[in-house]
Amino acid sequence: MSPSDRLRPLSLLKPGTRGRIARVTRDLTHRAERLAAMGVSPGATVTVLQTFPGIVFECDQTELAVERLVARSILVEVL
Amino acid sequence: MPCPYAIADLMPRPLLRLRAHPLRIALVGNPNVGKSVIFGRLTGRYVTVSNYPGTTVAVTRGRATVGAEVCDIIDTPGVNALEGPLSEDEKVTRDLLQSGGAELVVQVADARNLRRALMLTSQLADFKLPMILVLNMIDEARARGVDVDAAGLAEQLGVPVIEAVAPEGRGLAELRNALATPARARAAREEGVPHLQWADESAARFRTVGQLTLGRFQEWLGRAVREPLTGLPILLVVLYATYLFVGVFGAQTLVGLLEQGLFGTYLNPWATAAASYIPFAAARDFFVGQYGLITMGLTYAIAIVLPVVTTFFFIFGFLEDSGYIPRLAIFSDRLFRAMGLNGKAVLPMVLGLGCDTMATMTTRILATPKERLIAIMLLALGVPCSAQLATIMGILGGISFAALVTLFGVVLFQIVLVGFLAAQVLPGERSEFIMELPPMRMPRLRNLLTKTLLRVRWYLGEAVPLFLIGTVLLFVLDRFGALGGLAAAAKPLVTGILGLPPKAAEVFVMGFLRRDYGAAGLFLMARDGALTHVQAVVALTVMTLFVPCVANFLMIVKERGLRIGLAILTVVTAIAVGTGALLNAALRFLHVAF
Repeated sequence: MSPSDRLRPLSLLKPGTRGRIARVTRDLTHRAERLAAMGVSPGATVTVLQTFPGIVFECDQTELAVERLVARSILVEVL
Repeated sequence: MPCPYAIADLMPRPLLRLRAHPLRIALVGNPNVGKSVIFGRLTGRYVTVSNYPGTTVAVTRGRATVGAEVCDIIDTPGVNALEGPLSEDEKVTRDLLQSGGAELVVQVADARNLRRALMLTSQLADFKLPMILVLNMIDEARARGVDVDAAGLAEQLGVPVIEAVAPEGRGLAELRNALATPARARAAREEGVPHLQWADESAARFRTVGQLTLGRFQEWLGRAVREPLTGLPILLVVLYATYLFVGVFGAQTLVGLLEQGLFGTYLNPWATAAASYIPFAAARDFFVGQYGLITMGLTYAIAIVLPVVTTFFFIFGFLEDSGYIPRLAIFSDRLFRAMGLNGKAVLPMVLGLGCDTMATMTTRILATPKERLIAIMLLALGVPCSAQLATIMGILGGISFAALVTLFGVVLFQIVLVGFLAAQVLPGERSEFIMELPPMRMPRLRNLLTKTLLRVRWYLGEAVPLFLIGTVLLFVLDRFGALGGLAAAAKPLVTGILGLPPKAAEVFVMGFLRRDYGAAGLFLMARDGALTHVQAVVALTVMTLFVPCVANFLMIVKERGLRIGLAILTVVTAIAVGTGALLNAALRFLHVAF
């Protein structure tokens, strides 16, 4: 399996999945900067904790809750 | 431990010199890392400490003596970043640093998340102020298997790095000593790399993450409260427990003891007996008459509202410190999004149940002007504060559960409806929902008691004088016959549209000062049989939808300006009366009697 096959948006991962953030999609909003300030940036390890009603994941010892739109822009390399 | 003065003698001491003003030390750091705890430890002054990001939204100053020098310690709102897009409370901190408001920075960091802390260290270094880094919560970090090489980090940064457990006072003596030897940090700019890259590399070098040793129960609870299947039943249990403690124990048992026991049997008869020596009827009435300072003002403030506020503050403090409230954001995010907000708004909204005025300030944690405006308006419109809840539970608890459900149903519906409409009408955007969840913790009894006590003291200092002023106002209006005139003028509205007895007009006058004060008036009217059950529900609904109190109005003006303040006041009053009229018509049409 090539690395890009394992690259999936956080919004599609099941609870319990662990991975490493590969990329955070940039757009005109400051989403990537806001996420980076909370520790969500390439290289950080994530564990998905919950996907409904909101997405909750752990990133570097911090628990974060985000809406689906945000989770879609976080690309994770599943471990 | 070596004596700090001895160290000071041996080392160069840049701190000790004559200054025009005390040395200003700013405590800066990510949200919810314990800045306020350290502030309290250094200054001996208590500022509210809770377990959620955004407890502190304004700058607090306090004095501390460090060595021989008097310092001003500045507690600042937590920041995730100091550059790029900032929320309003983050700007408060950045502006303080930019304007030269501090000569020394103590960065307080959560030791569990070194990477995030170092991102901020790197940005702080750009302000070129001497600094110290405190790695707080080192115990929780170790429990999670995180170990930081503080000495190595200190060497790389070139600043003192201190390990601390602030609530236990661990590391505070070391911090005091280090205040003599701060230094400018060497970070990303010195190495010519971006902040993020520098933080990543430094965190990787000085931190080791090993085995998790977190308590099973803590982990289980953290999961249970956020999963819908377990979380929603837990929410219901929490609400029901709150109702039992505040609505039954506070509003019925304690109020009964104070109102009928203390005031009814002792204080009021005594005061009346004492007042009978006053030769002037007017002066007698001023103290113990129908609108007497003691028989009305103090009775309302102390006997009816105080017990409920106290029980509420206690249970509310418990929820705040446990880390539970932010987790409600997960459930409410979708609903809030329909109202032009996001899940983060759950914080100011729930805090509004404690005090709408404070909660209005907390709206600073919301990211866009539109969100803040909507949240401020909804707080003013529909979120009943603790004192108001007190009287609602006191009155409607005595009528029926259906009455209680009707009132909260109508109010909740109004909040959602007005929020939805405001989201469509107002210009601007909502921000995306990204929220940090603090760890679940067992609240510390000491902090809980201190916080409850301080809030009760605040209530006594702020609300009680207004109760007394309101009573005097009513007394004067009554003396000059203006009360009758006012009641007559308001009659078409009060008796006609709302279907209430004329005396209710007085209560609404009181409600403009503080709506809980007005509600306390309704409480007595209801108990004396002057209100039917339908009238009680209608009157309370209108009162709940009023702007909470003068203080809240002034806070809105302070945060958003007079124009918006007046606009909110007008809209909210119109909605309150309109909803009351509709509710009255509907209840009568359907022949509901509760």
